[in-house]
Amino acid sequence: MRMSVIASVLIVALVAAAALFGWNAPAGAQGGGTIVGEVKVTGTPPAPKTVKVNKDNEVCGNEKKIVDVAVGPGNGLGDAVVAVTDAKGPKPAKKPALDQKGCEFHPPLLVMAPGEVDILNSDGVLHNIHTLSTVNPAINKAQPKFKKVMTEKLEKPEAVKVRCDVHTWMQGAIYVTENAAALTDQKGSFKIDNVPAGKHKVEVWHPILGKQTKDVEVKAGQEAKVSFELAAKK
Amino acid sequence: MTLAAPDRRRLPRLPVGGRFAQAILVLVVAYLVFRFGIQPPMPFSLLSLYMAITLLAMLVYVSSDSESWRAFRAPIWETLVDPRRRPVRLGFAVLLPLLVGYYAYSQAAAKAEAPVELRAVHPAPPTSIPLRGSTIDLEATDTPVRKDIAANPANRAKHLAAGGAIYIQNCVFCHGDNLDGKGHFAHGFNPTPADFTDPGTIAQLSEGYLFWRIAKGGPGLPKESTPWNSAMPSWEDRLNAEQIWQVIYYLYETTGYPPRVMRGGEHAALPGPPATVLPALFARGVAGVAPPAAEAQGDLALGKQVYEKRCALCHGGAGKGDGPAAERLLPKPRDFTAGKYKIRSTASGQLPTDQDLLNVVAKGMPGTSMPAWDKALSEAERRAVVAHLKTFAEGFKGAKPEPVKLPGEVASSDSSIKRGREMFEAIECNKCHGPAGRGDPAPGSDLKDDWGHPVRPANLHKPWTFRGGPERKDVATRLATGLMGSPMPTFADSVEKPEDLWHLANYIRSLGPDRLSWATVLPVRAAAGEVPSDPNAEFWPKQPGANFPLVGQVIVDPRNFNPTIDMITVRAVHTPDEVVFHLTWDDPTPSDPTTGAPKPDMVALQFPAGGEGGERPYFLMGDGGHPVSLLTWRAGAGVGEATAAGIGKLTPQSGAAVQAKGQAVYEAGQYRVVIRRARKTSAAGDFVFPAEEFFPIAFWVWDGSEGDEGAKASISSWYYVRLEAPPSKRQFVIPPIAALGTVVLELGLLRWAQRRRGPAA
Repeated sequence: MRMSVIASVLIVALVAAAALFGWNAPAGAQGGGTIVGEVKVTGTPPAPKTVKVNKDNEVCGNEKKIVDVAVGPGNGLGDAVVAVTDAKGPKPAKKPALDQKGCEFHPPLLVMAPGEVDILNSDGVLHNIHTLSTVNPAINKAQPKFKKVMTEKLEKPEAVKVRCDVHTWMQGAIYVTENAAALTDQKGSFKIDNVPAGKHKVEVWHPILGKQTKDVEVKAGQEAKVSFELAAKK
Repeated sequence: MTLAAPDRRRLPRLPVGGRFAQAILVLVVAYLVFRFGIQPPMPFSLLSLYMAITLLAMLVYVSSDSESWRAFRAPIWETLVDPRRRPVRLGFAVLLPLLVGYYAYSQAAAKAEAPVELRAVHPAPPTSIPLRGSTIDLEATDTPVRKDIAANPANRAKHLAAGGAIYIQNCVFCHGDNLDGKGHFAHGFNPTPADFTDPGTIAQLSEGYLFWRIAKGGPGLPKESTPWNSAMPSWEDRLNAEQIWQVIYYLYETTGYPPRVMRGGEHAALPGPPATVLPALFARGVAGVAPPAAEAQGDLALGKQVYEKRCALCHGGAGKGDGPAAERLLPKPRDFTAGKYKIRSTASGQLPTDQDLLNVVAKGMPGTSMPAWDKALSEAERRAVVAHLKTFAEGFKGAKPEPVKLPGEVASSDSSIKRGREMFEAIECNKCHGPAGRGDPAPGSDLKDDWGHPVRPANLHKPWTFRGGPERKDVATRLATGLMGSPMPTFADSVEKPEDLWHLANYIRSLGPDRLSWATVLPVRAAAGEVPSDPNAEFWPKQPGANFPLVGQVIVDPRNFNPTIDMITVRAVHTPDEVVFHLTWDDPTPSDPTTGAPKPDMVALQFPAGGEGGERPYFLMGDGGHPVSLLTWRAGAGVGEATAAGIGKLTPQSGAAVQAKGQAVYEAGQYRVVIRRARKTSAAGDFVFPAEEFFPIAFWVWDGSEGDEGAKASISSWYYVRLEAPPSKRQFVIPPIAALGTVVLELGLLRWAQRRRGPAA
């Protein structure tokens, strides 16, 4: 307990110092290491479903393939987020955006730093952005066809599911974090650069399969490996 | 002498304190007492009888001696003969014929009113009844539940909780959350369900009597006093004896009334200290008294107490919306722990204000099972319960939610409604509320709330079901704030101009009335000429429609706790040979097996089998001894006829026996169906439509896409229908004749009076 208080005081002091000196690079970027690894699915993940589109077929198409759990070669889990829970990530270069295009969310899982996010409507039909937030104020805002961009705020770290009630197959997610984080690729592999040397906690989160935390030790200039296995609940 | 002469010639003052004025005063007071002093109001026939007796008594009194008679007569005589009274005479001469003419018109043009049914309110119960193979003694002083509690007081809470759960899962639909007979299905029944908080119901009865009525229901009422109109089902197949005693215990404990005991077929007060209903009546007021300081905030201890007694059966003890009632309700009771409230004045994503919560507690949520608590709970209790609600969600701590500011109000006008309609299309309200706003999204839309429970979008043609109220401001506020936790988003920044919110509200409110008046009688008008079978023919909107409420069938499995179809509008005409019904109801999803749907949409008109007279069958398709006759329409199969002897025991007619015909259309969330049949058919058992006579009718509607079939349906209780005589001109002929007759009589009377006065003068 006391250790963590001291640690947070140190971190705050460090961040303040960094800010004071106009030093924008993430803490520990120099002399840091990299975390690489894989996320795999165990058990039987839900098979992709095909949903018949019941409205707006001209933009949504006639069928939608719903992949709740994207399983790649070797049971790798795609579209999961892996984050170092105790190391800040780089400052984002531009404002994050979540696009609604072809009646799908792009990206399906958006990783963003706390702050503003642009919600785009590229479809020219009504969507509504509906977050199931519990930490941030929940958002449920209509975005009619003439409203191409809306700017919303997610100011606190939170892993939240997002949906559109007009097109109920549209299920997305936003992972709000100020920490170093990366998405898994098709094979379930990920790589987080510039992690300060030392012991860290690393978390994986997937909107359907939930989360898991592991400890990892990063050495300067080296690759630390960590692997996760998320169980598919039947 | 000369001075006095003008005085004598002066017009005599009307004797205000005189005999005549006294008599008039007595009549007026008697009328006011009879009309407003006696509750419930007496029928008009009884009122006229009492008034006639009063008039007679008054005449006898004033004519008791000649002096008094003269004093009484004087003002009348004066009016008739005195030349100075000419203007008054003239006034009467004009006014009286007009009044008589108006009365004659109102009588000749009288609308159909259901026949009055007189009955004993509390029929005599049997002394014991059989139940599931054993015999229940209805005159026993102590019920098994009370005996158990007397022996083991710790069991009281268990019995009370069990009784509450049984009540909230079975009885609440009709008798209501606060036991006042105003459940969310109550409006579908005639007579209305019993109000247990009324000192005239269970306070006057024994627990044995209640047991009999619950176990045997309407079908178990004594046959000699038929027709009963009780919709009370028989619960003996669903509840065992202990459960019935538990729910009875819950009723008395919750209302605070002591039960009476049966002695020799009479209800008597409990032995021991005299029982009184006063504590029950005042208990509420006492509980509601909170110290002034606590009142502003809402007293938490009181709030918890009220919550546990009044709210927990639906919303759950921990506020998670998981009380025993929850599984049978839709919309589900709110989960207070999430802090997401639908009806707010605050921006989307925000908590509601205290006033928002107080409003919902006081007014309830129309169209749901949440009742208005403004009569059952005092202001202090409502504030206290709101304070308690806020303890369930973390976020309320230190939060100061503020109402959003709506754009400047725009009054409703044709141009505003037109702009609202354009906006409705531009922002695509139809995606959930349907092209015409009847709450019919594209099939398969699968709308869910934040907890994963199904959600039905509002039918914008039925503002009386709007959860947050039907006023234009309510609608504009819902558009601006959204309904948190539901799919309904905020449109505050999602319209072209801020005032579009008002245009939208004006357009939405132009679709339907604030409230509807429910019909009790279906008049079938005589039609001249051809009656079209096309439900969209111009003929039909010209006929007056009668709206009948429909509620779920909740006694026989499968039960329908959350019906999608909540009303039917009926238009009907007859010709010398035929009766033609035109039915309209809203159904969000058409369901036709010939196009692949698993179950068909269906409608049925129910009549007692075999025609008029005799005992009226039980309203749920009768029973073995009293079958019903049905005219049906089924999606994919068309119009048919059937008989039934008990719910679900439906025997469709086939071949030549089916003489009914008709057509149906489905458009933008609404069915319109025409069913026509000969007034008398050759098939045995078919209902024969009598002319100019009241006969019973009931309605059934099944929503196939919701799994309705057989017993799972929207139902109505019995109503009356009558084939009216062909329209006559008599309401235009009789009044002038009556008025003319009055003028002749007046002239005669005046002539007679003047002539009598002549010789005397």
